[in-house]
Amino acid sequence: GASVKMASPKTVPKDAQVMMQILKDMGITEYEPRVINQMLEFTYRYVTTIIEDAKIYATHAKKSTVDADDIRLAIQCRMDQSFTSPPPRDFLLEVARQKNQAPLPLIKPYAGPRLPPDRYCLTAPNYRLKSLQKKVSSSAGRITVPRLSVGAVSSRPSTPTLGTPSVQTMGSKVGTPVSLTGQRFTVQIPSSQAFSLPPISTVQNVLINPSLIGSKNILITTNMVSQNSSGESGSLKRKHEDDDDYDAL
Amino acid sequence: MAAVQDGGSELEGEKEPKPELMNDGSTAPAAAPSSRPEDQQTLLAVLQFLKRNKLIESVDALRREAGLADEPEEAPGSEAAGGAGGAAAGSGELGDAGALLSRVSGGSQSAAAPAPAKGGDDQPDVSVVLSAYSQQGDPSLYQVYYSGLKKFIESVLDCHRAELSQLFYPLFVHMYLELVYNNHESEAKSFFEKFNGDQECYYQDDLRVLSGLTKKEHMKGNETLLDFRTSRFVLRISRDSYQLLKRHLQERQNNQIWNIIQEHLYIDIFDGMPRSKSQIDSMSGSLAGEAKREDNKTKVYYGLLKEPEIEVPLDDEDEEAENEEGKPKKKKPKKDSMGSKSKKQDPNAPQQNRIPLPELKDSDKLDKIMYMKEATKRIRLGPESLPSICFYTFLNAYQGLTAVDFTDDSSLLAGGFADSTVRVWSVTPKKLRKVKSAADLGMIDKESDDVLERIMDEKTASECKILYGHSGPVYGVSFSPDRNYLLSSSEDGTIRLWSLQTFTCLVAYKGHNYPVWDTQFSPYGYYFVSGGHDRVARLWATDHYQPLRMFAGHLADITCTRFHPNSNYVATGSADRTIRLWDVLNGHCVRVLTGHKGPIHTLAFSPNGKYLASGSTDGRVLLWDIGHGLMIGELKGHTDTIYALRFSRDGEILASGSMDNTVRLWDAIRAFDDVETDDFTAATGHVHLPDNSQELLLGTYLSKSTPVIHLHFTRRNLLLSAGAYNSQ
Repeated sequence: GASVKMASPKTVPKDAQVMMQILKDMGITEYEPRVINQMLEFTYRYVTTIIEDAKIYATHAKKSTVDADDIRLAIQCRMDQSFTSPPPRDFLLEVARQKNQAPLPLIKPYAGPRLPPDRYCLTAPNYRLKSLQKKVSSSAGRITVPRLSVGAVSSRPSTPTLGTPSVQTMGSKVGTPVSLTGQRFTVQIPSSQAFSLPPISTVQNVLINPSLIGSKNILITTNMVSQNSSGESGSLKRKHEDDDDYDAL
Repeated sequence: MAAVQDGGSELEGEKEPKPELMNDGSTAPAAAPSSRPEDQQTLLAVLQFLKRNKLIESVDALRREAGLADEPEEAPGSEAAGGAGGAAAGSGELGDAGALLSRVSGGSQSAAAPAPAKGGDDQPDVSVVLSAYSQQGDPSLYQVYYSGLKKFIESVLDCHRAELSQLFYPLFVHMYLELVYNNHESEAKSFFEKFNGDQECYYQDDLRVLSGLTKKEHMKGNETLLDFRTSRFVLRISRDSYQLLKRHLQERQNNQIWNIIQEHLYIDIFDGMPRSKSQIDSMSGSLAGEAKREDNKTKVYYGLLKEPEIEVPLDDEDEEAENEEGKPKKKKPKKDSMGSKSKKQDPNAPQQNRIPLPELKDSDKLDKIMYMKEATKRIRLGPESLPSICFYTFLNAYQGLTAVDFTDDSSLLAGGFADSTVRVWSVTPKKLRKVKSAADLGMIDKESDDVLERIMDEKTASECKILYGHSGPVYGVSFSPDRNYLLSSSEDGTIRLWSLQTFTCLVAYKGHNYPVWDTQFSPYGYYFVSGGHDRVARLWATDHYQPLRMFAGHLADITCTRFHPNSNYVATGSADRTIRLWDVLNGHCVRVLTGHKGPIHTLAFSPNGKYLASGSTDGRVLLWDIGHGLMIGELKGHTDTIYALRFSRDGEILASGSMDNTVRLWDAIRAFDDVETDDFTAATGHVHLPDNSQELLLGTYLSKSTPVIHLHFTRRNLLLSAGAYNSQ
């Protein structure tokens, strides 16, 4: 809002009057009325935080009263924590000088969408769906989890697979907690769930396969749907799982 | 920290005797070893100083006479003190020991500005102690010094007075900051009250910030002022005026002002006529003074890169340039061709491979052909033929619209909002479609001709798509030239790359840890530049998660970043009221352009690459010649901040949009034609700016209480503009 509705001086509390005066001194003439309230709330919260911190410091120093040094220390610590300021100029100049020494990297031709390595992208799915239907006996303990890194595949070059024998054997077990113990892959199912509920069966997987990029740089995603063990296993592919990125359920 | 401050306050009481102490040369100790703690501190500091400079015998002599035991070594900030020692050694030719001291402290300050704030050692670091000496003379006499200078300057000849008046503002600020830094709060207040009314009107904002800064602690969080204190304010003064000043200051008894000038100001002396007040006013206003002449001497390749040769298909009915063999002509002549037909290299254009650029894909070649076709249908603009303006008003944005961008072919419009969303609209009747999900993609026939249409999902087609991901207001948006990507920069410190095929976020580039105020894709794609609150502009490539170049040098936030049409240079406008031009190849700053009186919010390069236009909060548009680094025009007319500037496709018209709800059109060809740059002006950088804004103004168009925040010329020279309706 462009104009400030000046409430009658009787109804405006003194703190708000002080805040209005501060805004006027700083040359801010147009502001919404709610700005005063926000500034007052901030001031209140900031001051109480500082005073509480100062009390802690005073107690730590075994002083009976809080004095100016405690307040100063509290302000200093809060400033370093919440109200950090950008680095100083000489530091920036030095960092820039070092960074600018490296020549510009050459651009690889015909590389598809030019994106950083997958680890730095946000292109991986960050969810997996859990089926709610109760499967009784012969459902597979197969967990097919969405893949994270395309490049990490080693066994079959064209499609991403996991070739560790340990996983294959896991697939035939029933009703057991599935834990893929490999170098990097672990599926953790909380033990509370493992024995009582049937394992997770169907997961939608979306893979991003940059090798299928057309001339328009379109990412064609191929869907790999996991099936029950009773069903076909031909199209079933194992996936890597980078456990660091998933919360345990 | 406490130790430093106590030391400072105790030492200042005996400041007068101390300079004389130093005057005797570094080897003379105090007359008698006094047991007062402040003297001890001074002695220790002097000892450290001598040790750093390897004056061993002096160290021993001092120790013997003062009766001190051996000291442990290594206080923090030793490099700073070493630097200070180096500076002192280098300036030994100055006979004045007071100036020697000031150089030492100046050197130590600039190198150790962060160190004293953080070092809280018992060992009095020499730089820390000396910073207490950095003020020249008695604080209560500062008013006297300043008044004395004022009286002198008012008494000189008219022609010199304008130039010497430039001294007032930097001296005032530096003296005030000295007083505050050394904890003379009451003297600082009275000094401020007495003299702040004398300063130029365009410094009022800075003075207001200063008025709130009364204690040393206040300075600590304010990086801009700390940088101001340690950097040198540049003044351009003619040799005659300078001689006058120097003679006056050196013949007086206390030449404290002279010391301050030497410490904090950089005087760029030129030979020639003194400048008039209007000339000075047009160039001043920035936080660091004007630009040194040598800053603007690097050769800038402002020419355009050669267009690649593209074969235009035979069935093009506009094609009339086929030669007899029936082969299509290799290059379609464009109306704005800048010597593109000639084979030899434009001497002002960079080499094609000066910086690596992505090669053209087939889709890019198709785009170029489309561009050329549109270019033939382009309207030629001029004072008699003004463009039509189509205004896109954002309704119900509640002052939340913070950034807008159009694609080059004007088919898509993106808006960044304060609620951290980015919304993309289709400007044409064609709706926005995203790629089908993986399940559906498996079912389409990959061999069909229109596979590229089949992969798009019709069911979720809509006119607007909303992109969620940022955690703060989005302050900059930019489409890639091939319309595949969208960049957005936000207050949360990240820059996000969105895919316009899937309408999802692909990458979040983290590097700025502070709000990023602007971002822009390079005209050739692949690179993009961003600038923000941390005073650094970064050049990124989409496939690197860290920046490739860092452009550091501004004193305050970078508010606007733009690529040059040849993608070899980046211009940044900042809240310190300067514009800097950076070379992408090596990260150097090749131009510093001063003259604005407020933060610069928009920049626009002319299509031929020679000129730059800038708009700021002071309502003026300034025109710059990049090759010479000179201001060549000033367009006055707007009454409020200018947020949008754009040249028409052939550079004939400059359009500016402002918070005063108007779009103004200016005659760019005439503005650039009127410039006469003879040798003198090119050498010294002084141009007489004709006051012809009224003649250059071709039209003013009011919107219905909608500030204009973006302007875009379509390929056929229709002007599109965008803003959010403001109901108040």
